Amino acid sequence: MRSQGMSQMRIGICVLLLVAGLLTAAGCAALSKKESVPARHPEELGTGWANCLECHEDENSGALKPYGSFVHTSVFLRQHGLYSSRDQNLCASCHRVDFCQTCHAADEELKPGIRQGNRPDLAMPHRGDYLVQHQIDGRVDPGSCVGCHGRRNNDKCAVCH
Amino acid sequence: MNSIKRNLRFRLPGSGITVALALILSIQPATAADYEASSTTYLHVFEREQALGDDLQYAPLYEYLSLDLWEVTRPEWSLHLYGWGRVDLGDEIDNGSGGALSSAYANYNHPVGNGQARVGRFFLSEGTATETVDGVFLKGSARAGFGAALFGGSPVENSITADDEGDSVAGGRVSYSLPGVAEVGLSYLTEDGDFSGDDREEMGGDLWFRPGEGLEILGRGLYNVSTSALASYRLTARISAGNSLDLGVGGEGYRYGDLFQSALNSAFGFSTLDPDDEVTTVFADLDWRLSDDSTLQAGIRNVSHEKSDPGDASRAELGLRFLAGGFLDGAGLSAAVQSADLPENEYSQLRCYVMTSLGNWKFTVDALAQSYELPINGEDSAIQVVGSAGRSFGKGLRVSGDIRYTESPNFDEDLAVLLRAEVGL
Repeated sequence: MRSQGMSQMRIGICVLLLVAGLLTAAGCAALSKKESVPARHPEELGTGWANCLECHEDENSGALKPYGSFVHTSVFLRQHGLYSSRDQNLCASCHRVDFCQTCHAADEELKPGIRQGNRPDLAMPHRGDYLVQHQIDGRVDPGSCVGCHGRRNNDKCAVCH
Repeated sequence: MNSIKRNLRFRLPGSGITVALALILSIQPATAADYEASSTTYLHVFEREQALGDDLQYAPLYEYLSLDLWEVTRPEWSLHLYGWGRVDLGDEIDNGSGGALSSAYANYNHPVGNGQARVGRFFLSEGTATETVDGVFLKGSARAGFGAALFGGSPVENSITADDEGDSVAGGRVSYSLPGVAEVGLSYLTEDGDFSGDDREEMGGDLWFRPGEGLEILGRGLYNVSTSALASYRLTARISAGNSLDLGVGGEGYRYGDLFQSALNSAFGFSTLDPDDEVTTVFADLDWRLSDDSTLQAGIRNVSHEKSDPGDASRAELGLRFLAGGFLDGAGLSAAVQSADLPENEYSQLRCYVMTSLGNWKFTVDALAQSYELPINGEDSAIQVVGSAGRSFGKGLRVSGDIRYTESPNFDEDLAVLLRAEVGL
């Protein structure tokens, strides 16, 4: 059953690749002429919280939003998922994908707060002995956990739950 | 559980990831400047008591590798490979070793219209989807303001029960943008698998609206098709004044039975959770840049439950963050208080950190203290202090070490060490 499912999945993925190729060919012709977000930020950036307005005043042509929307204030960080779910390519211009996967990983063992123990300025979750704190956060607002532990990286939950 | 992990790590279903790996291994970058590679090694040394038997001495050695190849054959193409592995130098955590291939994908960025294609294993944040997928992703914006994204493949998951992992996932998002003013999107995701309940099927809607300078309205809703109900939503108004003030006010909510459906978020299928309960949160966050070097941060949020009563709570937080010059690289001080209708949910928290440099050396101290209204395991407080020292050797090598001391309801006294070596090429 499992191998049959796997071959069906492979066929499905091959079909998907074919459709993707055709869509790519057709899509490129219909694409907007606005300049895309560059794959890499052209200037090397510092290590602190990014302030796009230090250099940019205008609107980002790729994201079609003002650069001011992406200044990394604490407000932005709390809402960053609302931006990345539209403009992940803009995030990727400055952040490698493994930066996102520090928290949003399928499989990760080292807590972000421990990995970044030498960067207390970063807003990494789970500082301190979070195993204690999670009892409170989990009771009050379990929905706050699902962004990183809902479907993935949750095998440690089984130890107690 | 071990079989689940093996399934995650080595499930390479002759798909995009194989293509991406083949490309990565076969294509040479055009010049030395077209690649970035890094290695970060962590040795984490800590001890854990056992109820019966000797204490366990853990010393997992982690290696994180990353490789980015840019402008591969053409400027639009790049290849990316990220992963980590672990060997246990002390007592075994999980059969003595572990690891994961986090990402391995080829990326194409079209020069105009945000045309983008990814094939391989990649992290995806698009509409309602926040996934790691072995498959394909396509995205682009058309001239009239319409945009579309499409993805499909095999989901990369690590779930607590094997039958909660899906076999295939597909979805997409269509959007319409008025440049600088608004963007609305509709998204869809379906995941098939041998789930214990219904398959995963969800629809999403999102909004970005900027009616005028200094005001943004952001929203997102997730509709669970399998349960025919709105599973979660968030709406935020963001008010900013130039480069100095940023205020976010809004609300969010979810219903347990719809958000924690086994195919959606399998980790939260606890029998103690009332599926009919609904959570509503209202919040306000402020980031006020007082000067070039200092920022005031404040936040309040109130969480309330509609049906069952695991405890409503209100949390207030106030902090100051400094970016200082000279020998002081940065510092922060914050305090938070949570009041609740149940004493076990009440606590207060203080945190402060300092970062400083001396030549090629960097030092940080980070202290966090919490006080609980109702003792946990007989203890009413917790403290953790992390001290770190590191030295750079040119641009390519940095070595650092952290010492972490913890007293908490879990630990009378706990001392752990993390050694870190970062190499960049």
